[in-house]
Amino acid sequence: MSAHIAPHSLPVTARPPRSALLLGIARRSPTFAAGLLIVLAFALAAILAPWLAPHDPVQSFPDKVLLPPQSDFPLGTDGNGMDLASRLIFGSRYAFAILLPVGLLSLAVGLPLGLLAGYRGGWVDEVLMRAADVLRAFPTIILALAVVAAAGPSLINVVIVVGLLDSPIFMRLVRAEVLALRRAPFVVAARAQGCSTARIILVHILPNAILGATAQLPIRMAWAVRISATLAFIGVGIQAPAPEWGAMIRQGAEYVISGEWWVATFPGFTLILLVIGLNLLGDGVQDLLDPRRRASGK
Amino acid sequence: MSLLEVRDLRVHFESRDLYNQRRVASALNGVTFALDKGEILGLVGESGAGKSLTTLALLGLLRPPARIVGGSARFDGQELVGMPPAALNRIRGTELTMVVQSPRTSLDPLARIGDQLVRMQRRRGPVDKAEAMRRAQAMLEEVGIPDAARRLQAWPHQLSGGMAQRVLMALALVNRPRLLIADEPTTGLDVTVQAQVLDTLRALVQGRGMAALMITHDLGVIAHYCTRVAVMFAGTIVEQGTVTEVFRNPAHPYTRALLASTPRRIAQSGYRITGGAPPNLYALPTGCPYQDRCPQRAAICATPPPAAEAGGSHRAWCHFAVPRPETVDA
Amino acid sequence: MTAPVLELRNLVQRFPTPDGRSVHAVNDVSLALRPGEILGLVGESGSGKSTIGMIATRLLDATAGQVLFEGRDITHLPERELRGLRARLQIVFQDPWSALNPRMTIRRSLQEPFLLHSDLRGATRERAVEATADLVHLPRASLDRYPHELSGGQLQRVCIARAIALRPKLIVLDEPTSSLDLSVRAGILQLLEELRRELGVAMLFISHDLETLELVSDRIVVLYLGRIVEQAPTRQLFAAPTHPYTQALLSATLPPDPDAPLARHVLSGEIPSPLDLPPGCFFAGRCPIALPACREGPPPAHQRGPGHVATCIRVPDGSSALPA
Repeated sequence: MSAHIAPHSLPVTARPPRSALLLGIARRSPTFAAGLLIVLAFALAAILAPWLAPHDPVQSFPDKVLLPPQSDFPLGTDGNGMDLASRLIFGSRYAFAILLPVGLLSLAVGLPLGLLAGYRGGWVDEVLMRAADVLRAFPTIILALAVVAAAGPSLINVVIVVGLLDSPIFMRLVRAEVLALRRAPFVVAARAQGCSTARIILVHILPNAILGATAQLPIRMAWAVRISATLAFIGVGIQAPAPEWGAMIRQGAEYVISGEWWVATFPGFTLILLVIGLNLLGDGVQDLLDPRRRASGK
Repeated sequence: MSLLEVRDLRVHFESRDLYNQRRVASALNGVTFALDKGEILGLVGESGAGKSLTTLALLGLLRPPARIVGGSARFDGQELVGMPPAALNRIRGTELTMVVQSPRTSLDPLARIGDQLVRMQRRRGPVDKAEAMRRAQAMLEEVGIPDAARRLQAWPHQLSGGMAQRVLMALALVNRPRLLIADEPTTGLDVTVQAQVLDTLRALVQGRGMAALMITHDLGVIAHYCTRVAVMFAGTIVEQGTVTEVFRNPAHPYTRALLASTPRRIAQSGYRITGGAPPNLYALPTGCPYQDRCPQRAAICATPPPAAEAGGSHRAWCHFAVPRPETVDA
Repeated sequence: MTAPVLELRNLVQRFPTPDGRSVHAVNDVSLALRPGEILGLVGESGSGKSTIGMIATRLLDATAGQVLFEGRDITHLPERELRGLRARLQIVFQDPWSALNPRMTIRRSLQEPFLLHSDLRGATRERAVEATADLVHLPRASLDRYPHELSGGQLQRVCIARAIALRPKLIVLDEPTSSLDLSVRAGILQLLEELRRELGVAMLFISHDLETLELVSDRIVVLYLGRIVEQAPTRQLFAAPTHPYTQALLSATLPPDPDAPLARHVLSGEIPSPLDLPPGCFFAGRCPIALPACREGPPPAHQRGPGHVATCIRVPDGSSALPA
């Protein structure tokens, strides 16, 4: 639609304080605010776990096995007589130990490869994209399962496998942006100015290509949390008695039939809450970044 | 009663910034004009002046954040502002049609030209296919497409730009509308092709007793193909009249600046910087919208300018618009 | 006569299409620019004018032909060596809204040429950036803005500033005013005229608009489907347009004056497809005075006056004028 408003200058003097900006963002995108709140709450829980948790997460009370929620054990105890609430709080440390390095790793691998594939094009692009296709064609969970089973179920192995498996997503995202940017007049202008290829990519293309990937990051992190919990649930991820939510659900699943519902249910809900929080955050970032969504006046 | 009477049309863009502050851009601020049968009215002005917005508002095609906040537009006595979408839809494409620029993207790439013309006629009601095809071919001939019978079977991608623009015009005219809105109908066309398209348009308007509203930034097109002209600035019409009146005797400082900025006029008179920052629609000055760029600005400009009569139908909304009997310069 | 700053020799450009044919975008074009000269390159869409601009700045490699810059053949110069030379060979594009990095302030964009090609650092460089901004009459306050905060006219000034920052010998201007409003155009044209006078920079001014070229250029080259049909000093071209296409182009321009008479030669016939060009004169199919011979072979170039050459078979006997 050709109706547009001529650009104009924002008054420099009347820029409200930073707190107003935060409040404004929250009102602009409640999705973003809600997501941020949830994720921050989990981050705080992870950092302050030793002070927040009523008990040691791996301390077993042999005489207090499978107690329902009560004042001493607010969410009850599990089959080993360990406090569920404390385990859930400490479990957020595992969640962040997975999601942060996985996110960074997949971005660190996918971003440069996407830049390369998009800018060079030709056979480089072809080889990289087909490799990505092959990687994505495998059922993720089976591939992860195979690798972790072979290399040993440690946190590091899970991070590396999940991170690498997810890097094609970022590669594709960045490549698509670069393909569009490569022919953008300002990039051609940079070449006409005498910029080297490295400079064109790093100074002119990268800052413009990275936004879309950033918005996707929380959503991919949510995926990482889920997949690592799944691995732990199947028994090839992080192993009990480590307070990892997936492993806790696996342990609790046995008791659901016998009536001790709380052992699996609370870790399950915790996991869902964090995943929702991360997804909201990702959607919210997209809302805020996309000026068209921002403009639709509500 | 004129065919189209637009009175005090107002459109706002409402949005919120990152601070969640409500921002209102006053994009149309009381546009008033009328259009009679047999006339071609040219709308001219810089980008952001509200030319396209005016036509979109008339056709009920504004989408949020743009919104009509006031005024009226009567087409053949019927009020278009606030008309229910279904009723508006019956008028659009039949009585009131539009030709846009970029003809290539405006044709359905998956339908042959003839089928698109038949589909267009069905908007009026059921028609016999063979009869509609005959009418389609006649219409293609009327807009100057050679070998029309064969062109009915052509796909849009097989047409040149000038040809596609004429097919669009055929689509807009096949239902014998009473008003045609043309938004930059020749912008994408080469000058050697432009003349053919404009000649066709003019002949049809005059021959059929219809009216046309033409948006263009090309003063040459206005001078030679329009009967009347309305000059827009910051969402208002600052001057209107017959083409001869306005071009010979421009009464508003903005019109004078606009006419003086064509290459020929610059070559004659030497350079004078006429441009300036585009008006900030979020904070228009009170009174005359042109005052910030006007060389004649005075204290009185902070009050709304009156419609100064400059002879005949010629009006300029300027405190200093006085009728001058002589032509300005040759 | 001084050595030309830019010389294009027998340029040919073909673009392959997916179905194995090729678009003949530029067909044997040769031209030269003297230092400080403004040469207008006029043509309609598909005339190959922008392609020639891209080839001249080596942003595109020609299928055949040579590009000489300051007397040196740069046709096959590797990109690495080309970079140093780009400080003296600049280009300005049509659409200023997309020609600047949206995530860089104007100041940052204007620093770029100095970062790339000079040793200026710190305060000295800032002074150079500000001096460049002054040269194009860009308010200092806009230096710390982002592109989306400026108007089209101001952005085009920034693009021109970026191009002249290192005092180039040649700027290719690819429709620099076509996407701007009329009233803003005048200011840009005035600026270019000023820069030519003050810096002595040569310009290859590409445009579809003869009126703009009449105002700014010393000489005009008329292109039709990738072939030069006529070239002449500006005044001469407007006084005695010789090639039938030039005449049609001139007569199709509508003067912004309702009282000006129109001597119009409305052309009929289709423009040939650049995928399938005829063997003879490309204009023959639309030319009202074409002879059977026009369709047989490429038309010869005929001298019509000093620096005035028209590629039409009917020039020698003076019968190339279109009937009124």
